[in-house]
Amino acid sequence: MSDRNTTGESSTKSDGGTVIADNTLVARWEEIREREATVVGVTAICVAIFPWLFSRAPVISDVLLGYQSLATLILIWGIFAVGFDLLLGYTGLLSFGHAAFWGGAAYAAGIVANTVSADPIVMVVAGTAFAVLLAWVLGFLSLRRGGIYFSILTLAFAQMLYYMSAAPLAFLTGGENGLTGISVTPLFGVFHLESDLPSVAGTLIGNWMYLFVGVIAVLSVAAAYRILNSPYGMVFRAIRENEQRAEFVGLNVWRYKLMAFIISGAFAGIAGSLFTIHGSYVPLQSLYWTESGEIVIMTVLGGTASLFGPILGAGLYLYVENIVSGVQQLTIPFTDIVLINDFGTYWHLLLGLVFLVVIWVAPRGIWGAVSDLRALVRRLAGGDRR
Amino acid sequence: MSSDPDAPSDATSTPDASRSGETLLETRGLVKEFGGLVATDDVSIDVKRGERVSIIGPNGAGKSTLINLITRRLEPTRGDILFKGESIVQMEPHQVVQRGISKSFQTASIFPDLTVMENAQIAALAAEHGEFGFNFLTHRDKLTDVHELAEDTLEAVGLLDRAHNDAEDLPYGDKRRLEIGIALAAEPDLLLMDEPTAGMSPEETQATVDLIEEVKEEMGLTFVLVEHDMEIVFSISDRIVVLNRGGVIAEGTPEEIRGDPAVQEAYLGGVEL
Repeated sequence: MSDRNTTGESSTKSDGGTVIADNTLVARWEEIREREATVVGVTAICVAIFPWLFSRAPVISDVLLGYQSLATLILIWGIFAVGFDLLLGYTGLLSFGHAAFWGGAAYAAGIVANTVSADPIVMVVAGTAFAVLLAWVLGFLSLRRGGIYFSILTLAFAQMLYYMSAAPLAFLTGGENGLTGISVTPLFGVFHLESDLPSVAGTLIGNWMYLFVGVIAVLSVAAAYRILNSPYGMVFRAIRENEQRAEFVGLNVWRYKLMAFIISGAFAGIAGSLFTIHGSYVPLQSLYWTESGEIVIMTVLGGTASLFGPILGAGLYLYVENIVSGVQQLTIPFTDIVLINDFGTYWHLLLGLVFLVVIWVAPRGIWGAVSDLRALVRRLAGGDRR
Repeated sequence: MSSDPDAPSDATSTPDASRSGETLLETRGLVKEFGGLVATDDVSIDVKRGERVSIIGPNGAGKSTLINLITRRLEPTRGDILFKGESIVQMEPHQVVQRGISKSFQTASIFPDLTVMENAQIAALAAEHGEFGFNFLTHRDKLTDVHELAEDTLEAVGLLDRAHNDAEDLPYGDKRRLEIGIALAAEPDLLLMDEPTAGMSPEETQATVDLIEEVKEEMGLTFVLVEHDMEIVFSISDRIVVLNRGGVIAEGTPEEIRGDPAVQEAYLGGVEL
């Protein structure tokens, strides 16, 4: 029986013990859905067809106006958001300094590429290792305080790193100009990341870059799913719900919180390294507090305390930022009737409106709304399971 | 190691205590000051294994402070606390729990958004696998010891049939039972209960008293109880410690306490006996 539900939404509650015999189709699907292999498999399929749907499929991509590189970027931020939600949604800790791990890893990967090896795997390992070490130190210092003070401490440390790389460490980081001159070598020494995959894979997935990022994204989702279904997932939620009680059942809350911080820092590190590989450049802005703010907004928008919500949030945010901002005139699809001129320049406003509407209508984010809808469908289709 | 002359040595010879006369918990000259206020004033008590000790006293007598000192929620100003002969005043709260002191809170302190089963599993995890582990890639299904302990605990407190409900959906009395269950799942030697029947209906109160009796019989647990309901105190306790203004004014069997003039003095104008 491996259908323990912890991916956030409280749909099936089957923690061993009594199992309600239920052979309806809905119930059987739910049991399959909760299996790890299913979750990872479905994720892999979605990741594989996403670039085609987004940038090459007939009609859909014409409406969406997507492009390959943005699909890659969405996955990269998606990894970041999954890790961030482990901390925010599950453990209940709001870090406002995750730019430190994202940007720190991006710089570490870039510096390693320029000095040691520009192999993409070496870059990811180096960037992630740096982020883990940094998260261990900053977590150790920031978790001394709770609530808003924790958030402010993380913000302060991240901003310190920003100013450090702007001037005192400019010889390493390139200062205001960012880190340039990174030329990533082919994967395994053979596959150029920018070149397209052969035949059908090329049509579907696109280039080696997306395949590389996609495989790491699926592995990251698998790791996050495993963590949520490990003792840690339960302890994290217990700390979020009642930290004092968790301490008084005999758990070392401080160390679990530090682990939550380090794990989420590791995900940010993976994403940050990929960002460097993807762009062959590290902008100074990658350490700036706005990046920390963006990841908070993405996660909340998509739905905290869910595995896939934050990825949706990252996708929506980047879509508005990159596609909608470029739209000159808002027309009714397939016609020439203009609704608004210079629509794209208002993208920040639009994002703000989307954020407000989501928070008002579905406080648990997009994924929360989807879960509620699914629960409704299940009630209508399969009767109440409990 | 009782410093109180009112506590006769025959308090330790009640049937339950004599079964195993070993001292489990001991406080030595415990003092807690909040600014100028002395909340705990030179308290030296001892609790034998298998005993049920109640701590009573008027409001503000320092009962909860004493419990909070023992569970390491508060830092004592002076004095020492020994558990199984080992000083615990330097320890973190979770380390004290790992040594075998568990606490049931005055309010239903549970994990509302987790299922009833998960509530029990959290405590069972701490009991079976210690304060911390690097098992973040181990599937929880594999921890059969945790599942069994959690299930046994829920059965003991009568909540197994509600195992898959969210804890916040339970009625208040059941939440309190779950809270006691969480304390029990930690597999303690000593259970501190801070007003276990506060806010309960008469039926729920009776059920809780039965539960305490049952657990005592089955697990041989040692209890320290803070309780306002004198009926419960006198029916359930092997020994009673009376606090007033932070200090111990009397200590003895329920019969001795009932007739103690100092106790009646303390309660005049306070809670009626």
